[in-house]
Amino acid sequence: MSSITFLCSKSNEANNNPKGRIATNSINSSNNNNNNNNHNNSVKSKVKVAAAAVAVSAAAAAAVPPPVVTKTNGHIDDRSDVTEQLYIDPGAGGGELNCCPASPTTVPAKSALESPMRGPSGRRQRTRTTSIGNQTTTANPSECIIRANNRTIYTAGRPPWYNCAGQQVEPFVIGICGGSASGKTTVAEKIIESLDVPWVTLLSMDCFYKILNEKQHEQALLNEYNFDHPDAFDIELLIDVLTKLKEGRKVEVPVYNFVTHGRESQTKTMYGANVIIFEGILTFHSPEVLKLLDMKIFVDTDPDIRLARRLKRDISQRGRDLKGVLKQYLNMVKPSYANYIAPTMAHADIIVPRGGENKVAIHLIVQHVHTQLQLRGFKLRETLANSYKDQPMPESLHLIHPTPQIKGLHTFIRCKNTSRDEFIFYSKRLIRLVIEYALSLFPFKQTTVETPQGVLYEGKRMASRKICGVSILRAGETMEQAVCDVCKDIRIGKILIQTNLKTGEPELYYLRLPKDIKDYKVILMDATVATGAAAMMAIRVLLDHDVPEENIILASLLMAEIGVHSIAYAFPKVKIVTSALDPEINSKFYVIPGIGNFGDRYFGTEPSDEY
Amino acid sequence: MCTGSPSSNGTQPEEDAGAPEQQQQQQQQQQQQEQPQTEQSLGLRTPTHAIVGAATAEEILEEYGSTLKLLECNSQVAELLTILRDKNTTRSDFKFYADRLIRLVIEESLNQLPYTDCDVETPTGAIYEGLKYRSGNCGVSIIRSGEAMEQGLRDCCRSIRIGKILVESDANTHEARVVYARFPDDIGSRQVLLMYPIMSTGNTVLQAVNVLREHGVPEKCIILSNLFCTPAAARTVVNAFPKLKILTSELHPVAPNHFGQKYFGTD
Repeated sequence: MSSITFLCSKSNEANNNPKGRIATNSINSSNNNNNNNNHNNSVKSKVKVAAAAVAVSAAAAAAVPPPVVTKTNGHIDDRSDVTEQLYIDPGAGGGELNCCPASPTTVPAKSALESPMRGPSGRRQRTRTTSIGNQTTTANPSECIIRANNRTIYTAGRPPWYNCAGQQVEPFVIGICGGSASGKTTVAEKIIESLDVPWVTLLSMDCFYKILNEKQHEQALLNEYNFDHPDAFDIELLIDVLTKLKEGRKVEVPVYNFVTHGRESQTKTMYGANVIIFEGILTFHSPEVLKLLDMKIFVDTDPDIRLARRLKRDISQRGRDLKGVLKQYLNMVKPSYANYIAPTMAHADIIVPRGGENKVAIHLIVQHVHTQLQLRGFKLRETLANSYKDQPMPESLHLIHPTPQIKGLHTFIRCKNTSRDEFIFYSKRLIRLVIEYALSLFPFKQTTVETPQGVLYEGKRMASRKICGVSILRAGETMEQAVCDVCKDIRIGKILIQTNLKTGEPELYYLRLPKDIKDYKVILMDATVATGAAAMMAIRVLLDHDVPEENIILASLLMAEIGVHSIAYAFPKVKIVTSALDPEINSKFYVIPGIGNFGDRYFGTEPSDEY
Repeated sequence: MCTGSPSSNGTQPEEDAGAPEQQQQQQQQQQQQEQPQTEQSLGLRTPTHAIVGAATAEEILEEYGSTLKLLECNSQVAELLTILRDKNTTRSDFKFYADRLIRLVIEESLNQLPYTDCDVETPTGAIYEGLKYRSGNCGVSIIRSGEAMEQGLRDCCRSIRIGKILVESDANTHEARVVYARFPDDIGSRQVLLMYPIMSTGNTVLQAVNVLREHGVPEKCIILSNLFCTPAAARTVVNAFPKLKILTSELHPVAPNHFGQKYFGTD
């Protein structure tokens, strides 16, 4: 049962219950299908564990109530139909420093030096953009918030994880190995903390324990099942998950239940990140896994210290007796370390003695990772804005024929003196035309139907009825109604992408898509496309959800030529539909002559001063 | 199995006594061309022989001149037409898809209205060279099926005035007769969007246009919005009123005469 102990050590006081029930999963910031709350008693402490996930950045955080991540938004949707991801302000969380996740966690990590933003209650908050500056929510204003005019923008979304050709930039994978209680997690934490990379995924090997049969289950209850043996892990699944993460794709990571020794029916959704940290006692055991690791760290802590830590944890936190713990250690943990863990030290690039206290070692590691990341490069928008001048329009662009009617509608919505009532009315008309046109680009098949007049009629039907709309918040939402008006019972996904005003880069905040979106044709909606950075991010998200590129149509009212070029170059199979094409964008990335800020004009949230 | 006797032509009743002789001859020729196909389809119902093809844009331009315009028939429009034609379509679906098609036809009809150039300043401070439609338009629907298109027009032009015409056709002679008409007083000075979804003979529309002309609307100021039109009807109307603009979504020898019944649910 050593690994149970191991896990327990990572969760905080929530695991103090004498029955030894253990937190086996945690809400991470990318939570999906969260109706597994209260699903099982064993899960009850997961929320607290989650606090640890974000705690890496909140150095000064005191103990806080367990943050409830996803239930605060009041959505009543059928949860089983959607996957949801929330991007949590990294600094807003709190929790004990000495705990860390016992299951995979995607952490938008930021350095503690970046002075974490914390709400007044100390609870984690959903990241959001508000159009009205709310002075009271930010008792501790910091760099995480940017105020522009009347707006408060929380900048903790996910920045681009692909290059300007839309291609996935391969994340940097760090493997951390070491005996149980050697301080692997502390090292991982310290690395995340010092890295100051916006998006880090932490994956623990504990998720990949095999499902036990009845006999093994009994052994486990008697502390006689060897959890430290390589056979206890599902290495194939591990390789699969790690490979997908490295490709930047969405993966479902199993959640292991240490009470039933099986997997929970719910899984954790994880996404690729700039940096992936994979930690566990047998990280270096499989040669295939070794190949996936870009950097291998072995945490080498003196066995006496490790035993002391284990004793302390097991006895004080789990109410076990000294004898049992020692027996377990001598019979299984120690031999396994000698047989399977210690020899893998040979694979390590760096051996860190003394674990997390070793600041020099961690500093060296962080420097190396930074160098590697710089070689990969994530600057996007500026690059996009300056390429593709004077080139012919790509073939994937489908511009609606500019009839007088279309032009007349544009005249209304572009005029700055148009009242909002009229603006909404005429933009709705235009949106309807755009959507109708976009639908015609989906594949159709010939069909023959019988008519009431008795003749057969040769016509067409859409090849697949599986269409879904995905809107890029906020302006894209204005187009949802039109999609619903033309397609009965269509599913609508949402993606919130906001521009970080400091860096000018788009950042991904929120994601909610139909579960089986890969089987759908997708109409991606955004009212205006300037540089195309947000649209590219949204397309990238869809591709990461296994939607084939050719199944995506990007529909928009107005696009800048540059945006069209960028998108078409990055994703040549994505069909681009728009009702007008403008030649330029200005320094603030507004299209010229343009519409202005479509979302603001539609929803009536214009800032008082002009552009 | 019907062998195609030319005498029984249920779908193409004789029409328009007032039309010139030459026109009637053309119609007859045309009907003769169509009949074999129609009859076969009634009888055989085998896809290879029975399917009646629609005319292409070039043929229409050649035959009817520039006054007849066809809605650009992309796949999406083709699908809408197919659903409306299908006898297995439920009423709910029928109305839903009919409304979509109507909206497209109305939007396209509005393109025929006159406009003037108009430059506006955008919120970014730049100038957009746009255009502006003249005010003073109105819609006229032919009762009953024309009223199905009123909502589509309202969705595009919120406060447009809508007149109505009731045309009754005699069950035996197929002769059409106007029994009710109500228009805005100044209709003579307006552009008129005449709405009537199904034209199988064109008689009804001829009568409606006559009424409009009696109220002082010039022929060239009338735009006819139509969903389904037979070649015969198109010819009838074009020949009678060469300056009238016609917009339809399909030219097909068999008109879906069930439209009004199914749309309003009075089968």
